[in-house]
Amino acid sequence: MNNNMIQLERVNLYYSSVAFKERSLKSLLGSAVSFKREKAEVHDVHALKNINLEIHPGERVGLLGHNGAGKSTFLKMLAGLYPISSGERRVIGTVRSLFDLSLGFEPDASGRENILYRGLLLGLSPKFMRSIEAEVVEFAGLGEFIDYPIKTYSAGMQVRLAFAISTAVGGDILLLDEVIGAGDANFMAKAKDRILKLIEQSEILVLASHDFSALTAICERGLVFHRGEIVFDGAINEAIQEYRRINGLL
Amino acid sequence: MTLLLSIVFGKIFNVEIREYAPYILSGMILWEFVTASAIGGALAFVQADAYIKQCRHPLAIYTLRTVFTNAMVLGLASLSLVAWVLVVMPQNFGWTWLAALTIYPILIFIAWPMATFLAYIATRFRDLPHALGLVLQAMWFVSPIYFEAKVFRGGDLHWLVDLNPIYHLLEIVRAPLLHGAWPTIENYVFCGATILTLSLLAIALGQRTEKKVIFYL
Repeated sequence: MNNNMIQLERVNLYYSSVAFKERSLKSLLGSAVSFKREKAEVHDVHALKNINLEIHPGERVGLLGHNGAGKSTFLKMLAGLYPISSGERRVIGTVRSLFDLSLGFEPDASGRENILYRGLLLGLSPKFMRSIEAEVVEFAGLGEFIDYPIKTYSAGMQVRLAFAISTAVGGDILLLDEVIGAGDANFMAKAKDRILKLIEQSEILVLASHDFSALTAICERGLVFHRGEIVFDGAINEAIQEYRRINGLL
Repeated sequence: MTLLLSIVFGKIFNVEIREYAPYILSGMILWEFVTASAIGGALAFVQADAYIKQCRHPLAIYTLRTVFTNAMVLGLASLSLVAWVLVVMPQNFGWTWLAALTIYPILIFIAWPMATFLAYIATRFRDLPHALGLVLQAMWFVSPIYFEAKVFRGGDLHWLVDLNPIYHLLEIVRAPLLHGAWPTIENYVFCGATILTLSLLAIALGQRTEKKVIFYL
């Protein structure tokens, strides 16, 4: 029996401004002794404002919004990466997230070793990783280069390998952030199939994208973000209309 | 390097090279481990930013990784120390050498919380590793790492030896290997206290900042 779900009550999230103020001991000490000068005030960024939301099993949710509206922040908050400042966040089920795919390789290790490392990082056992290794190698289509160190790879090859590893295992809750669009044309077709398969396996999907055709094809429910708030929650087609209206695209 | 140092210091302090060389070597490899763990550990979160931004794991695994890497280097380096001592001071070999083995878990449990504690700070203040280099150098000067403990005692600086955790840490290796004696309870008490202090510091800081680290990356 599955009772995977996402429940958010009055969730607020701030980016603390300290993170981009004093970045070194030197400047901290310096500002303590030097004259007070008027600087551009940096405030805490209120990235998500009072979000109330429930997502039930079987739902396919698309996120729309202008750049900086809070889509990625919302996804990272769901994944538990960003701490919420107030409110309540309940996420039941294993979360798999695909955000910045090409990040996080060990440049000196071979592609094969990186498959193992990535897998371990996702909490999978070495035994399981060995069992899916051949499949991942096959999908990435790197041929003999899989035994070469990652630093010898081209950018495209890295993305392909990252994609192959990250999509090898699914989860109950799948969070996608603009991942459709990597590699050459040949790989794109394969990647699309694979994502769709992954989406089918998952119970809940949350997808952030600017690609309207992909959103309408995959999702039924749409959320429109505007300056950190959810301004619309409903059917995806209406959500797209709303998004266009708000941003003056009609 | 050890040879060079031991000749120079041996001349300065008027001690015999044969026995002073392993003294320096033991200080060198242990201190190397501590500094590498402190500075490498401080950078651990910054270097693992790609992982931290994608997966939710206790952050301490990233510093543990640095510490284990250094522990392997330490293990290899200590082989050379053991070989040297076996050649020049074979009479010291005995059961007491088992005590020297306890240095590995002790060092790891000291270095891990230390690295974690520093890593939290270093994600906030990126220039910490540079400052850390200076602090460690200062500690090196006031500790019997290359200088012999009796040099400090001769200068009426007993407290720099007796209250110095670094001295007690080194003694766990030096007593068995260089003198064929057991380390004292006091040595272990000091090491235990260091572990406890550093762990508490790391946990206290971690509880406050663990979740915020991602904002600083």
